[in-house]
Amino acid sequence: MKPNVPWWQRGSIRISIVLVLLILVGGAGVGIYYTQAPPEQPIPFPHNFHVGIGAECMYCHTGAATGPSAGLPTTNKCWGCHQQLEPRNENLKLVASFAENEESIPWVPVALQPDFVKFNHQPHITAGVSCETCHGDVASMTVAEPQPRHNMGWCLDCHQKMSTPEDFVRLSDCATCHY
Amino acid sequence: MAELLKEQEETQKWGMVIDMDICSGCQACVTACSMENNVPFVGEDEMAYGRGLQWMRIRRYWEGEYPEVTPTHQPMLCQQCGSAPCEPVCPTFASVHSQEEQINVQVYNRCIGTRYCANNCPFSARVFNWFDYETPAPMNSYLNPDVSVRRRGIMEKCTFCVQRIVHGRQQAAAEGREVEDGDIVPACAQACPTDAIVFGDLSDPESKVSKMSRSDRAFKELEELGTQPKVIYLKGGKSYGG
Ligand code: HEC
Ligand code: HEC
Ligand code: HEC
Ligand code: HEC
Ligand code: HEC
Repeated sequence: MKPNVPWWQRGSIRISIVLVLLILVGGAGVGIYYTQAPPEQPIPFPHNFHVGIGAECMYCHTGAATGPSAGLPTTNKCWGCHQQLEPRNENLKLVASFAENEESIPWVPVALQPDFVKFNHQPHITAGVSCETCHGDVASMTVAEPQPRHNMGWCLDCHQKMSTPEDFVRLSDCATCHY
Repeated sequence: MAELLKEQEETQKWGMVIDMDICSGCQACVTACSMENNVPFVGEDEMAYGRGLQWMRIRRYWEGEYPEVTPTHQPMLCQQCGSAPCEPVCPTFASVHSQEEQINVQVYNRCIGTRYCANNCPFSARVFNWFDYETPAPMNSYLNPDVSVRRRGIMEKCTFCVQRIVHGRQQAAAEGREVEDGDIVPACAQACPTDAIVFGDLSDPESKVSKMSRSDRAFKELEELGTQPKVIYLKGGKSYGG
């Protein structure tokens, strides 16, 4: 004879509900993790190390003070120092092989806005905003890490805080960032 | 009303003068505009269906009674109205007035393609992206990185080359000076072989464009609608001047 239990007390149904929930929550978790975790780079370039030995941000990211994009260093710039260093581990050998083949290193972008957003580094650097304000404490990171919540509200909040109401008309104008 | 008009006068900024006496209708401006702004060339068939994508076009019309007809032409583009009919009808506020530059901006990422704005535009200056057009190689390398590449389903129109306006402003700020007359030139004016198109700041009475706009040949298209166009035409007809 079948035991008279309501459907929601049956073991099989409960197990499947829990499984479905687990898959959903797990999937969401993995999804969120992958959007926040730094992407795999061709060479795990250690920022902390290089900034620690005294290299300025602008030595490698030369465009930041003069133009819209900061730019990434060429392989030649790495080679300028690394030619004199003994390639004692895998990563250093990778640097050497890229340089000797005269190839550019295919870095994966980390700090990225959508195509319809026109960001410009130059006015920010001129206004004295430090790199850390926006990119986090890169000096203590190994690979560059993406920063969360770099959305339109973030831009506008800071623009409002750092400007007079007259200037904010310009700094909040759609045509300043979207065209 | 008078107060309103005065306020409009005071807030105006960028403007354009097109001298129809020296415009030869060569279409160089149309080409330059499309190249600068990543506007795809849609081809003959699509054009015939009325799905042409041109931010600037040369309107052709006939003057006189048959058989004494002569063709004339007029460049037509978004008139950047001070009181624009396209703006209040947008349900998503994608068609907005730029307070800073006093032009009509179309925020592509905000646009959902209802096409209300185009239907309300008395100048038919807005075009709609019906399809994603492929840019054949090697032309895809010509895409301008300063302008977003729009997807299908989006309304677009002449922006007075706002990317150049913003760049000129930022360049001037970086050099610690004000924007000067002639710093900012939109693609059409730059390409015009006869210099029929002049662009500048209407709020500065000394700028070239202001001076030209005070000519007695000056008129605005459909001025009676009260949309306050920022494009001023100088009457042609080859009956003026020398
Ligand atoms: C020795 C050269 C060098 C120096 C010095 C340097 N960087 Fe970098 N930076 C790189 C390289 C190479 C990459 C690409 C690898 C990566 O993304 O991890 C990079 C990536 C970045 C990125 C991510 C860019 C992207 O691809 O989207 C940011 C942000 C950044 N650096 C900021 C800084 C800041 C801030 C400083 C100063 C504290 C600094 N960097 C100093 C070489 C350098
Ligand atoms: C106001 C915030 C802000 C400041 C300050 C700032 N950045 Fe950026 N940075 C951004 C944003 C936003 C992007 C993404 C730009 C894009 O995708 O168009 C970016 C992108 C980058 C990139 C990768 C893409 C590129 O532009 O080449 C590098 C490298 C970089 N920044 C380095 C720096 C350095 C070095 C400094 C300090 C000198 C700095 N940034 C200061 C916001 C900032
Ligand atoms: C200012 C000189 C300088 C520049 C420029 C420079 N490096 Fe280095 N880098 C060093 C020094 C010094 C070391 C330490 C070498 C050692 O420990 O033997 C190092 C170490 C490294 C390491 C190994 C860290 C470890 O121990 O695992 C990597 C990887 C690396 N650099 C990559 C790069 C890349 C890629 C570039 C170009 C974007 C670059 N470096 C540019 C000076 C520089
Ligand atoms: C930490 C503060 C801060 C953040 C975050 C920030 N900005 Fe700015 N931004 C400024 C300051 C300060 C200025 C210079 C104001 C001035 O020129 O009067 C500026 C100026 C600008 C300008 C130049 C304005 C002009 O005159 O054309 C643009 C464009 C701009 N920001 C875009 C952005 C975008 C896009 C973002 C977000 C991705 C952003 N900003 C985030 C502080 C910030
Ligand atoms: C200071 C720069 C700045 C200004 C001014 C600005 N935006 Fe944005 N906007 C951004 C950034 C940055 C993003 C991207 C946010 C993200 O990636 O989540 C964005 C995203 C958007 C989006 C979302 C698009 C999407 O697909 O997620 C819309 C819609 C938008 N902006 C509309 C506007 C309108 C309308 C105005 C004028 C009232 C405006 N923006 C002014 C910087 C700006």
